[in-house]
Amino acid sequence: MLLDVRDLHVEFHTREGVAKAVNGVNYRVDAGETLAVLGESGSGKSVTAQAVMGILDMPPGRITRGQVLFEGRDLLKLKEDERRRVRGAEMAMIFQDALSSLNPVLTVGDQLAEMFTVHRGMSRKDARARAVELMDRVRIPAAGQRVKQYPHQFSGGMRQRIMIAMAMALEPKLIIADEPTTALDVTVQAQVMDLLAELQREYRMGLILITHDLGVVADVADRIAVMYAGRIVETAPVHDLYKAPAHPYTRGLLDSVPRLDHKGRELYAIKGLPPSLLHIPSGCPFHPRCPMVRDVCRTDVPPLYEVTGAPAGRGSACHFWRECLHG
Amino acid sequence: MGRYVVRRLLQMIPVFVGATLLIFLMVHVMGDPIAGLCGERECDPATAARLRGEFGLDQPVWRQYLTYMGNVLTGDFGTAFNGQPVTELMGTAFPVTIRLTLVAIVLEIVIGITLGVVTGLRRGRPVDTSVLLLTLVVISVPTFVTGLLIQLLLGVTWGWIKPSVSAEAPLGELIVPGLVLASVSLAYVTRLTRTSLAENRRSDYVRTAIAKGLPRRRVVTRHLLRNSLIPVVTFIGTDIGALMGGAIVTERIFNIHGVGYQLYQGILRQNTQTVVGFVTVLVLVFLVANLLVDLLYAVLDPRIRYA
Repeated sequence: MLLDVRDLHVEFHTREGVAKAVNGVNYRVDAGETLAVLGESGSGKSVTAQAVMGILDMPPGRITRGQVLFEGRDLLKLKEDERRRVRGAEMAMIFQDALSSLNPVLTVGDQLAEMFTVHRGMSRKDARARAVELMDRVRIPAAGQRVKQYPHQFSGGMRQRIMIAMAMALEPKLIIADEPTTALDVTVQAQVMDLLAELQREYRMGLILITHDLGVVADVADRIAVMYAGRIVETAPVHDLYKAPAHPYTRGLLDSVPRLDHKGRELYAIKGLPPSLLHIPSGCPFHPRCPMVRDVCRTDVPPLYEVTGAPAGRGSACHFWRECLHG
Repeated sequence: MGRYVVRRLLQMIPVFVGATLLIFLMVHVMGDPIAGLCGERECDPATAARLRGEFGLDQPVWRQYLTYMGNVLTGDFGTAFNGQPVTELMGTAFPVTIRLTLVAIVLEIVIGITLGVVTGLRRGRPVDTSVLLLTLVVISVPTFVTGLLIQLLLGVTWGWIKPSVSAEAPLGELIVPGLVLASVSLAYVTRLTRTSLAENRRSDYVRTAIAKGLPRRRVVTRHLLRNSLIPVVTFIGTDIGALMGGAIVTERIFNIHGVGYQLYQGILRQNTQTVVGFVTVLVLVFLVANLLVDLLYAVLDPRIRYA
């Protein structure tokens, strides 16, 4: 087991009150495995990732409970200096907007080489050579010249390749990609995803892919975890989930994907809005929007039930998962 | 880049002409410069007429301006009414003021940026609040009050410094006056650095730098500061001109015989040549400082390219 997140709770202290962003998340990632974390904005998917990475702004953020076991040791118990050495070297992160995520006043070469000088103590010259190699590796043309350029001189897709190169630099065991293709054109999205998947296979890295794009997920993920209001509401191998969702929220998400054979018909949308994290509804947090809601949903928080009869490791946080699965 | 510099230099010409014309006209309406030359008594009309002719004051204003600018371009700033060439006055005044400005700028950079960084990284903590309050006080109290107060306390009551600077104005004696001169800008630099730092601290590229596992020190110096100081450098650059011209009050308080002192004397005695000459040079300093700032801006921020 590469990464094992157990019962993670994260809160943010704001002027309006305590926002409970993550409420007991559990997930695991093996070496070479891709876990897709799916959810709307505010579902806690990015916050969970930031807590795992150790880049949460604290304060206002606070990890109130849980463990982040990385190769068996709890990262939350490490001192900041030990934690820092893990970041970038053993686990790395790719962000959504590569333009704002790269430093505008440093050349991409400097930003890549920094990984080697800081973590590996390489000389600047060697680090620079490695930076060119990395840019070659992510298929940036004329890497030797472009290494001296600044982020704004690259196209969106090329910039995201540089982010990928930076994350790959020290061959980490785990990569967390937070909506890596959201800011890109559709054609470029596919190229970037392919590159990421290829590199992952080659180095047998664990990959956590955070996204709200169901299309991206289907192609590359092994497993899916669907998040809602800071909880995982369903987790399953990707194809099982697509075939038969075991949670009404997942079903709603799948139904709201535009489909060619539904052309001309009105697009389905889950009614209502995601809950405010300051006031998460009682019982099942999805109950105000759920088409299958019953009395028990308003009072009892559903645990993540094991979905029996399916391949191992499938779970749903719905009291009526059986109905959902077969209905 | 070269073309940009040429264009900027050309743009300086109308600004220079306009600014000097304005000051020339303002001095002209200040009154008759001859009137004050004969002491308490009114001037003898014949003498007055002779002086007017000698200084070219009987000519129309536009003519006076043209003659003056023509002379300036050949390096002749005229003579003050006491017969001393204005260039000679400049030769003694400018080195003193430049020294004072340098002291002020260095203090502004060192103290201002340090305080800004300290507070920007500790927003909301006691250090931050107290420095913020202090800068507010410094900004709201006029320089002549702070200056006189410091002179009184340090110079007279406690006797730590000499209350007035000697004629040669050595560097050591200029430190306290320099601090007074810099005080308001220093407070602004502190606030600007603090805000800029706090803003950039939340930016995506700083988050990336942290996610890369860089030590905190490196995140701050290499990634955060480099970006946050761009507006600060711009401010300090434009401030050079303001400090050189704005030293009038400070120079008067500490009896420093620099540009401000000469300007003050010139205005007091309606010494047209001195006032116009000094202001002309100050206008040039402003223009050049602004151009340098704009060029520096492109060096600091690679996204800006002038064509």
